[in-house]
Amino acid sequence: MKIYKSISNHILPLFIAAIGFASCEKQLDIFPTQSIAAEKAMTDENAVSSTLIGCYDGIQTSSLYGGDIMVLNEIIGNSTNIRFTGTFAGLDQAYRGEMTSNNSFAEATWGSAYNTINRCNHVLANLEKVTSSPENKSRVEGEALFLRASIYFELVRLYAKAIGDGDANSNPGVPLVLKPTSNPITEADYPSRSSVKQVYDQVVADLSRAEQLLPESNSRYATKWAAAAQSAKVYLTLGMYADARDAADRVIEGSGIELNQSFENLWFTYIYGGGQTPAEYIFSIKVTTQDGTNSLNTYFGRTISDIPGTAGRSDCKVKDAHMDIYEVGDLRSTFFVESGGARYTKKHLDQYGDVPVIRLAELYLIRAEANIRESSMVGADPVDDINAIRARAGLAPLAEVTLDDVLHEKMVELAFEGNYLPEAKRLQRTVGVTPWNSPTLILPIPQREMDVNKNLTQNQGY
Amino acid sequence: MLKKLCGTILPLLLFVSMGVGQTKSVSGKVTDENGAPIVGATIVVKGAKTGVNSDAQGTFTISVAGNKFLEVTAVGFESKQISSNSSSFSIVLKADVKALSEVLVTGFGGSQIKRDVTGNIARVKGKDIEYMPTPSLDAALQGKAAGVYVNSQSGKLGQAVTVRIRGNSSISASSQPLYVLDGVPITTNSQSNYGGAMNPLSDINPNDIESMEVLKDASAGAIYGSRAANGVILITTKRGKAGKTSVTFNMQSGYSEATKRLHMLNSQEYGELVLEAAGNSDAIEGIPVDEPYSYTTYAKEGILGYYSYGQWANNPTKTYNWQDKVFQKGPYKQADLQIRGGNENTKFYSSFQHLDQTGTIIGNNLIRSTGRLNVDQKANDWLDLGVSLSLSRTFTVRLPDDNAFSNPLQAVALSPFTPFLDPNTGLDAGAPPGDVGIPVYYNPVLTVKYGKFTQDVYRTLGNSYLRAKILPGLTFQTEYGIDYLSQNEESYFQSQTVRNQSTAVRGVGSNNGAFITNYNTNSYFNYAKLFGKHNVTATMGMQYQQSQAKYNYIEGTDFPSDSYQKIASAATKSAGSSSQTDFRFLSYFLRSNYTFNKKYIFSASGRIDESSRFGKNSRAGFFPAVSGGWILSNENFLEKNRYISFLKLRGSYGIVGNAEIGNFPQLDLFSGDAGYAGVGGQRPSQLGNDDLHWETTAQMDFGFDFGLLNNRITGEIDYYNKKTNGLLLNVNIPATTGFNSQVRNVGNLENKGFELVLNSQNLVGAFKWSTNMNIALNKGKVTNIQGQIIEGGVDKMNRVVEGYPVGVFYTVEFAGVDPQNGDAQFYTNTKKPDGSLEKTKTSNYSEASRIVSGDPNPDYVFGFTNNFSYKGFDLSVFFNGVLGNQVNIYGMGRYSSASMRYEDNQTYDQLNRWRKPGDITNIPQVRLYYTNGAQNSSRYIVNGSYIRLRTVSLGYTINPKLLTRLKIEKMRVYASAQNLLTFTKYPYWDPEVNSDGFDSNISKGNDFYTPPQPRTILFGVNLSF
Repeated sequence: MKIYKSISNHILPLFIAAIGFASCEKQLDIFPTQSIAAEKAMTDENAVSSTLIGCYDGIQTSSLYGGDIMVLNEIIGNSTNIRFTGTFAGLDQAYRGEMTSNNSFAEATWGSAYNTINRCNHVLANLEKVTSSPENKSRVEGEALFLRASIYFELVRLYAKAIGDGDANSNPGVPLVLKPTSNPITEADYPSRSSVKQVYDQVVADLSRAEQLLPESNSRYATKWAAAAQSAKVYLTLGMYADARDAADRVIEGSGIELNQSFENLWFTYIYGGGQTPAEYIFSIKVTTQDGTNSLNTYFGRTISDIPGTAGRSDCKVKDAHMDIYEVGDLRSTFFVESGGARYTKKHLDQYGDVPVIRLAELYLIRAEANIRESSMVGADPVDDINAIRARAGLAPLAEVTLDDVLHEKMVELAFEGNYLPEAKRLQRTVGVTPWNSPTLILPIPQREMDVNKNLTQNQGY
Repeated sequence: MLKKLCGTILPLLLFVSMGVGQTKSVSGKVTDENGAPIVGATIVVKGAKTGVNSDAQGTFTISVAGNKFLEVTAVGFESKQISSNSSSFSIVLKADVKALSEVLVTGFGGSQIKRDVTGNIARVKGKDIEYMPTPSLDAALQGKAAGVYVNSQSGKLGQAVTVRIRGNSSISASSQPLYVLDGVPITTNSQSNYGGAMNPLSDINPNDIESMEVLKDASAGAIYGSRAANGVILITTKRGKAGKTSVTFNMQSGYSEATKRLHMLNSQEYGELVLEAAGNSDAIEGIPVDEPYSYTTYAKEGILGYYSYGQWANNPTKTYNWQDKVFQKGPYKQADLQIRGGNENTKFYSSFQHLDQTGTIIGNNLIRSTGRLNVDQKANDWLDLGVSLSLSRTFTVRLPDDNAFSNPLQAVALSPFTPFLDPNTGLDAGAPPGDVGIPVYYNPVLTVKYGKFTQDVYRTLGNSYLRAKILPGLTFQTEYGIDYLSQNEESYFQSQTVRNQSTAVRGVGSNNGAFITNYNTNSYFNYAKLFGKHNVTATMGMQYQQSQAKYNYIEGTDFPSDSYQKIASAATKSAGSSSQTDFRFLSYFLRSNYTFNKKYIFSASGRIDESSRFGKNSRAGFFPAVSGGWILSNENFLEKNRYISFLKLRGSYGIVGNAEIGNFPQLDLFSGDAGYAGVGGQRPSQLGNDDLHWETTAQMDFGFDFGLLNNRITGEIDYYNKKTNGLLLNVNIPATTGFNSQVRNVGNLENKGFELVLNSQNLVGAFKWSTNMNIALNKGKVTNIQGQIIEGGVDKMNRVVEGYPVGVFYTVEFAGVDPQNGDAQFYTNTKKPDGSLEKTKTSNYSEASRIVSGDPNPDYVFGFTNNFSYKGFDLSVFFNGVLGNQVNIYGMGRYSSASMRYEDNQTYDQLNRWRKPGDITNIPQVRLYYTNGAQNSSRYIVNGSYIRLRTVSLGYTINPKLLTRLKIEKMRVYASAQNLLTFTKYPYWDPEVNSDGFDSNISKGNDFYTPPQPRTILFGVNLSF
C-alpha cells in the first residue's frame, strides 16, 4: 500500500510538525512591550523614583499646571480684561459664565488631577522601598506630598465654593483620595465629596510636612521653598494672614533667591532664554520641544511673524479696559503686542516657554499684604516689598502703601498668570459682571463623574 | 484553486458496477468548453447507485452492462446524459451559469454548491467588481450583497471604509468583518499616523479576485469561532487554468470630480449678514453702532476690512469662491495585465496592475502597483502543492483629517472677500512674510503648497499549500501564509504653514515606520463520502496565527532651509519613539455536513479559540453551530411543478465571537511613557480584568432559496436574529480612581433583519436583460449597557442608549424660531410623571433635555443592477442606496449654518433669517458672536437617505472576426461612470459620509467638512490574446 507508506513517511510528520509548532500553550503568553504588569512595576527604589517622575509628568499635562488651570482661572467670567474669540466650546462657556455639567475642560482637569493624585499615592504607598538614604526617602515623600497637595488646592478652588461663601465645614469640597487604586474596584473607590475644610486641612498638613521633608535645592523639582510658597498661597486663601506672611517670609529670606533684574527676561524662556528657567520661578512646569504643552500659550498666544517661535490660537484678546490698570511708564504696560487688529499679552507667546506656577514676586506681594493686614513688619516693611516690584517695572517708589495699593500691584504684576479668579473670590470682587460667589464661577463636577458615582453631589446651578 | 478544491471534496470512490450479463469497460474524458479537463466529475450508469469520478486529467473508466445511459455531473457544470454505445468518449460539459449551481467557498478547503448550503453565504464574483474605480475591494462590495452595508466615508483616496454585516454588533470592539485572503486572516486595521484611518485592503488588487464569499450567519461563520461575529469575508484569488494561455490587457483612464459643491454666501451677501448680525449684537448690549468698540465697527474693520486686506470698502461685491480653490478635476489612469494558463500538472495565474488616481481635493493622490503569481502543481497522483504571492506598493499623498484647519474643505469657512493672493506680497493669503493672521482661519492651500505627508506601503501576501490524498475521500492539507505590511510615512511642513503647525517655525519633518508581520498556518483533514443516498463531508483541523506590529517614529525641527527635508538635516530631533504590539490565536475546528437523498441536509460545526487577548480566567472559548435544510423541490409533490423549479427551506443557529478587543486589554499595566523634562518616568496606565474575553453573538437564521420558471428567477429570503452578549465595554469608573474606565464584558445588544435577493433573466434572446437586486432591513437595538454613558462624535452627540441602535444622535430638540424676537427655541422635553415628554418651547437652551433625535444606521440597504446586452453591446446600470438614516451636520453647521455665531462664511440658507417680528422662518436672528440656535440640537440632524447611480458602464465588443488578423481574440471598448447621479435631500455635500475626524463604532454619520465621493468618468479598452 504505497499510499499508506506515503502517509506515514511524509504527511504525518508534517501534520505533527504543524500542530506541534503551535500547540504549545506558552505561545499565547505574550506581554506588551511598552508596559509592564502592575505587580512588577513598584518593586524597588528606582521604580518608585520613576513613578515620582510620572507624577511630574501628570501635573505637567495641559489640563493641570501645563496651563489649563491658569487659563480657567483667568478667563472664567473675565469679560473685563479679555475678549475670548476661541472656538473651544468648553472655554467659551467658561468665559461667558455659561458652563454646563459636561464642560470638557471641567472634565479634563478633574480626570488629569485624580490620575496624577493616583500616581502620587502609588509613590506614597511605596516609600519603604526607598532605601538608599533617609534624605532620599524624605525628598521622595516631600515631592509627592507637594504635588498632591498642590492639585487638591487647585481642585478645591475650582470645583467648590470659595472660603467665605457659606460654611467651609459643610460646603462640599472634592473627594479626598489618599490611597493608590488597585484591582478589583470596590465600594471605597466611589468616594463622596469631603468638605472644603477637610480638603484644606489635608492640603495644609501635606504642604507643611513637605516643607519639612524637602531639600533646599532640588534641580527642577519641588523644593522646600516651593512647598513654603504654596503654603503661603493656601494660608492667604484661608485668610490665615500671619501664617501666609511667615511662609512667604521663609521663602524670601531663606531661599536666597532674588527677583529677576528685568521683567522681560522672566518670559520667552525658550525663544530668548534658551530653555533656562528664571531663578524667580519658585516652582514651574518645564516645557521642552519634546515634552509638554504650555496651554497658556495655546489660548493666550499667537503666531507673531516678527518673533519666530511664537504660536497660539489667538483666542484671548486683551481688551482696552485692561490697559487702564497700568500707571504711565509702567514697563509691564508695554508687554503687549498688537496683531491682526487685536492686542495680546507677551507673557505667553513662547510655545516652549516654562509655565510659572509660583514666582518670587508673588511672595513679596503676599508678605506685604499679610503684614499690612496683621499690622506687622515681618521680614520687611510692606512699602519696601512693593517698591521692589515697582522698581523693576520702571516705576517710582511709593512713600507708603495701603492694602489697596498692594492688591492693585498684585493685579498688575500677575496679570494673565492665573490669579484673576482666585483673587476675585478671595477678595470678594465682582468678576466681569458676575458677583464673586456666583455658582457660574464654579466648575461643575463633571457629568460623567456624576453619572458613574452616585455618592457625589453636584454643584449649585448644574 | 477553487476548482481543484471542489474536486477533492467530491467522493473519490471507485465502485465497480456489479451488473448481470455482459459488461464492458468504457472510458472517456470530461472537459469544459475550452478543452480543460474537469476533475472530479461524477459518472454514473443511469439507475445504478454508484459511479466513478474523473481524475486529474479528466479521464475515467467505468464498467457498463449492456447499452445504458451514462449520467455525467460536475459541480459548476450542466449535467449531461450520453449513451454508452461507444467505447471511448469525449464529453464536453457546459458551464452552468445558473446561480444555484454556483460553488461557494466555505473556508478551510471547504466548498459547497449553493443548492446544498444551509447557512447564509453571499457570493460576489470578481467579474462583478472588476475595473471599478474603487481602490479597495471592500468599497466594491457596496450594494452587491444583501445585508452588507458599506459606507465609503469620504472622498479621500485610500481611506478606511465602514463595512457592517447584518448591523453593528459591537460598541467598543471592532465591528468590521474578518477578511481572509486565500486562507490567511489579513491585517486590515489602519496604520496611518496622519489624517483619518487608512484602509490596508487598498493594497490588494481587486481584479485578482475570483470571488468573495460573505459568511453572514453563525453556521457559516462558526468555523471562524471567536472572530466571526461581524461576519467573515473569504477572498479567493484567481488561479490558473489548463489550456491555452490567455492574456488580458485592460486600460482605462478618465477623471474624477466631486459630486457636489455647496452654495455659500458671496461677498455682498456676507457683508450684509455680518453687519446686520453686528448691529443686532450691539442692540442687545446697548452699544451705539458707531462706537469704536461696537460690534458693528469691529465687523467693518476687524472682519470686512482686515480680512479683505482693506479692499472690501472699495469693492464689496468682489467674491472669491474658496471652494473652487480646493476642488479639482483629478485624472485617473489604470492598466491591468492578467495572464492565465497552464497544463494538466502546472497551472498559473499572474497579474500586474498600475493605478494612478488623483483626488477631487487638492493635495491627494494614490498610486498603486501590484503583481501576483499563483501557481498550482500536481506533484504526483497523491500530492498537490501550490504557491501564491502578491507584492504591492501603494503610495498616497495624504490629506489631513477633517477636523483640521488644513483640511482643504475647511476653506468654505473662509471669507468670500479674502483674496486668494495677498495683494502686498503676491503670495497665497496667509503666507509669510505677509500677515499670517489672514484669512480668518488658516488657509489650507498653504499646507498643500508648502507641506506634504506621504504614505508608502509595501505589502507582501503569500501562501503555500500541500494537499495529500490519503485515502479515497480523505485529504489532508497544510497551509502556511504570510502577510507582511511595511509602511513608511514621511512629512515635511515648511515655515509657511506655521499658523497651522506651530512647530514648523524652521520646518518640521517626520518619518514613521510600521512593520507588521502576520503568520498563519492551517492544517486540516477533509473527508467526503457518498454511500448510496447518504452524502457525508467533514473538515477537521487547527489554525495558528501570530501577528506582530513594530513601529518607529522620529520628528525633527530646525532645518537649515526648506531645501533640506529629511530628518538628517534637522538640527533638533524633537520627538521619537519605537513600540511593538502582538496578538496570537490558536484554534481547533470541526465541520460536518450530511445530506440524505439530496433532500435533507444537516450540518454542524464548532471551533475552540484561545488567544493572548483573553484574561487568564477565560483563555479558551467554544463556538458551536448547527444548521439544516430541506430541498422541497426534490420531493415528489413539487418535483413536477411547472413554476417552482427549486425550493429549499433552511435554518441555522450558532454562537460566534468577536475577539477584536485590542491587544492586552485584560492586564493591569504600568507604562513607561511618563517622562518629565528629559527624565524617564512611569505611570499606572491600565486597570485590567482577569475575566475578560470575546464578545459572544448567538445568531438564528431562517430562510428559503427558490428558483422559478426553470430557475430564470432565483432568490433568497432570510430572517435573522443576532443577540450579542458580553459586550466589551469601557465601563466608566470614577475618575477619582485615576482611571476613567475598565474593560469588562457586560452589555447586550441585538440585530434583527430581513434580506431579500432576487436574480432574474428577463430576456434571454439576442437581446439579453438580467436584473439582480438585493435589499436588507436591519434593526439594531442595544438592550443593556448597565447604565454606562457611552458617547462620541461631533460634540459628543452620538450615544449608546438602551432601546436604540448603537450611536444614535442624542441632543436637544430644535423648536424653530420665535416669530416675536427671532430667538432659537427648543422643546424642553422634560419627562412627565406618565413618561411622556413635556413639549413646552424655551429659548433657554439649558432648560431643554436631550432626546434621541436620529440614527446614523440605515434601516434599508439595497443594490439594484440591470445588465443588458445586444449583439456586441453591453450595458450595466447599478444603483445602490440606503434609507432611514440620519446624518449629523453640526460639525460644520455650528460654524457655517449658525446665524453668525463665528466669523465663518455661512451657507446660503442663512439669508432666510428672522429679521422682524412676525417673520416665520427656521433660521434664527443673526447675532455676531452670540449663540442663537448654534448649540447642538436636532436642527443639525438631517435625512441621510440616498439612492445613487453607483456605476453605469456601456461597452462594445468588436466582432472577433475583424480581429483575427491582429491576433486579438477579443476587444471591448467601454465607458463607465461612477456616482453619476445621487438622489437625496441631504443639504451638505454628500450623504454617504462618516467623518474621519470622529470615526468609531459609536461615532458614525458625522459630516465635518468631509470631502464628498468622487464622480468618476472612465474610458477603457480590454484586449484578450
